[in-house]
Amino acid sequence: MTLEEAKAVLDRVLSSAGTEETEAILGGGTSALTRFANNEITQNVSERRYLLSVRVQRGKRTGRATGNDISPTGIERLVRDAAEAAAVQPEIADLPPLPGPQTYREVDAFDPATADLSPEAREAEAARAVARCREAGLAGAGIYETGQGTIGEYGEIDALAIANSRGLFAYHRGSQATFRVSALAGTAGGWAARESHRAADIDGGALAARAVEKALRARDPVAWEPGAYTVVLEPAAVADMLQEMAWISFGALLVQEGRSFLAGKLGQRVMGENVTIRDDPYHPLHRSAPFDAEGIPTRPVTIVENGIAKSPVYDRRTAAKEGKESTGHALPVPNTLGPIARNLVLEGGAETLDGLIAGVDRGLLVTRVWYTNVVDPGTVTITGMTRDGLFAIEQGRVTRAVRNFRFNQSVVQLLGRVEAMSAPERVAGVVCPAIRASGFHMSSVTEF
Amino acid sequence: MKELARLAIDTASARGAGYADARLIQIREEDLHFKNGEPAGVERSSSTGLGVRVLVDGAWGFAATDDLSRSGVERCADLAVSIGRASARLLQEPVRLAPEPPHQAVWTSPCRIDPFSVSLQAKLDLLSRVDEGLRSVKGVRNAECFLRFLREHQWFVSTEGSDIEQTFTRSGGGMIATAVRDGDIQRRSFPASEGGHLLSGWEHIESTPWVETAPRVAEEAVALLRADQCPAGTFDVVLSGSQLALQIHESVGHPTELDRVLGMEANYAGTSFLTLEKQGALQFGSPIVNLVADATLPGGLASFGFDDEGVEAQRWPLVENGRFVAYLTSRELAHRVGEKRSRGCSRADGWHRIPMIRMVNLGLMPGRGTLEELLSDTDHGIYMETNRSWSIDQLRYNFQFKTEIAWEIRRGKRIRMLKNPTYQGITTQFWNSCDAICGESEWVPWSVVNCGKGQPGQVAAMTHGTAPARFRVVRVGAGYEG
Repeated sequence: MTLEEAKAVLDRVLSSAGTEETEAILGGGTSALTRFANNEITQNVSERRYLLSVRVQRGKRTGRATGNDISPTGIERLVRDAAEAAAVQPEIADLPPLPGPQTYREVDAFDPATADLSPEAREAEAARAVARCREAGLAGAGIYETGQGTIGEYGEIDALAIANSRGLFAYHRGSQATFRVSALAGTAGGWAARESHRAADIDGGALAARAVEKALRARDPVAWEPGAYTVVLEPAAVADMLQEMAWISFGALLVQEGRSFLAGKLGQRVMGENVTIRDDPYHPLHRSAPFDAEGIPTRPVTIVENGIAKSPVYDRRTAAKEGKESTGHALPVPNTLGPIARNLVLEGGAETLDGLIAGVDRGLLVTRVWYTNVVDPGTVTITGMTRDGLFAIEQGRVTRAVRNFRFNQSVVQLLGRVEAMSAPERVAGVVCPAIRASGFHMSSVTEF
Repeated sequence: MKELARLAIDTASARGAGYADARLIQIREEDLHFKNGEPAGVERSSSTGLGVRVLVDGAWGFAATDDLSRSGVERCADLAVSIGRASARLLQEPVRLAPEPPHQAVWTSPCRIDPFSVSLQAKLDLLSRVDEGLRSVKGVRNAECFLRFLREHQWFVSTEGSDIEQTFTRSGGGMIATAVRDGDIQRRSFPASEGGHLLSGWEHIESTPWVETAPRVAEEAVALLRADQCPAGTFDVVLSGSQLALQIHESVGHPTELDRVLGMEANYAGTSFLTLEKQGALQFGSPIVNLVADATLPGGLASFGFDDEGVEAQRWPLVENGRFVAYLTSRELAHRVGEKRSRGCSRADGWHRIPMIRMVNLGLMPGRGTLEELLSDTDHGIYMETNRSWSIDQLRYNFQFKTEIAWEIRRGKRIRMLKNPTYQGITTQFWNSCDAICGESEWVPWSVVNCGKGQPGQVAAMTHGTAPARFRVVRVGAGYEG
């Protein structure tokens, strides 16, 4: 939806709401995904979906109604439902008034060719990946997803445009291209992925070549004993752990409620001196929306700087509690979670992946991790499995495949023991490097 | 509305589809949250749209739209056919659908009191009373409670002549108390960590003791701050039904999905250790273990008249007397295990996502006796209750779970409360160590409402009915050994 089209819908909401204090969020877009497995396309889908969410605020009371009927009648119904919900609710003592007009940074994130990529073009890219897998005698499986707008991986819809009755209007348009490929040799596998706002950055054949190389090396794994190892974690593994940490730690409400490891630690050393973590939607590898779900401009926030805990991210309610300004990280108001950091950047170092490996006497190279979940939120201890390429490193060289481990590891402690890092890249929505760290706790071995 | 679904399949046929089906769906939801004495999100939402699925030259295409004008529907069907045509360029073997007689039917889930007819005020009043009960206990940092209601009205038509209208009404709610001290974060929830949900009307809410239970939930959360750390070692473990439900989900449900077994989920959720030669041959669990898939379970979240490709609901064993005997299948894949008919497991997340194999309701059949009798019969063990964390490898062998609370059992008695209990295992070793399952009186239909699978991701809900059970010589405490 163009800026003009989105504005027309939101203007209609505000006009339909009359004198009510009203906020309207429009999200959605189009998304297409070609999925392949066993070297053939098994699923190939496209969706067009928009969602309009209207919130009416009466003093300290507020109600929301959401729907995908954006006809004049549908909009009138949403406004009526939101007003009815607002009328019957108890007050929220610290509910802030709607914000006025804001100024936003421009983010160049839309590529028309990517937004409208044809099914034939997606098939051709998938076919290049499949050809590499076939040549190696492996089974290729993966996806090529392209689209525009704000439809999330599980169908959740973020804001494309926001307007309110105090004159605020925000709009951001982005396109997305994601290619992920697994190459399988029985229960051994390799994996590679790339994501960008431009389909032109995607090379399915090259990604499949990396996955194939990993898969061939991952065959016939030996079982190593559980224990603490020096590890080289590739960016996909680091990204997964950072996201888990962000979800349970980096929002100001979590800190205020004592549920984040940052609580009581701001200004203190919590990680190694070489670790700096930011939230930055303007990073060239992120290019995310420059505003949050309240329409407040998102500021880059340094969360940990050279190992010192600096600041969580804020929305207006949590900021007001501390006499601060919002950093623009709100979810739709009101909510139970508080603000969240969604554009993580772990600054990297100067090492190459080979250089990281060369510094290990006896340890493990982890391609990625799987099914991570929080065991202990206070220490950010997470569990999960290694996946799609776990390799022994001996005397600075990758020597052979190792059977996959379950790990239980505090991410905070891990980031206190980082020895070296590569340059960052974007994977799974996080900008982060590969890292080498000691004392990574592998808990038990699985069967493959 | 149904005419638009027909228009979609007629258009797809005219454009060259060999098979087409369409689902037109209206969804209505109400989601109410309360936190620490205030509303924390009260939202009513609705969504209407159409998904059309086609086979072109034996290859799948799918498109979905919320533009329900005639031209919008025609464009959607046309796009589905174009996508199918592109799929056919990278196809090894044309899709073969297992036969299913065309059905003309109307099916409605049981609902005595329409939850959408109950006023917002009444719902908020209930939440406010639960919230007060949770906050009545000193030391509770966060009191949270919620109610959720969903109605899905769908029309399914296919070029084979099926014409099915179904209406689902789901009601549920839950509460969580959190207590915090010096980085120790403990929580208790009720009825389970994601609440308790059924295909039911408001009567499900009325029959659940929300207000009466709230103080006990809060007291246990606070007591956990003072409880001993769960010891590490090997113990006999008794799992509550709410924890065992997720154990069933992760270690039985997902590995029996035939699409996973055949590699179709390899890039995301993974594959399965239950490869084809194990059907009928593998001793999955001990002889007392009987696991039954059941899309006809009254109130089950995955109960229906027909699945999302028009196959009638069925009930069948997956594990019989401990032996692995059957998979969860679809029309596309049934023939790969020599079956002539789909088991009816194709379901989609709304109108905008394509049907894929999803778990139907999957339950552990009851044994005998009560939980207290089982604990009395346990010399030294750990009783664990209510899931808090879960993880399993991509072939579904190695798992680890954490529960909210546990008690050490000595000579049949609970001797102390334990915090941070975790246990690990390998699926078949674990199920073969099951030596006791409680009886019918302890059997409860527990809900899972956020099961994720597929690319693009789809969320599904299902019910796992089970009673508590005991497992011998289980590794406990590894989650805190790092």
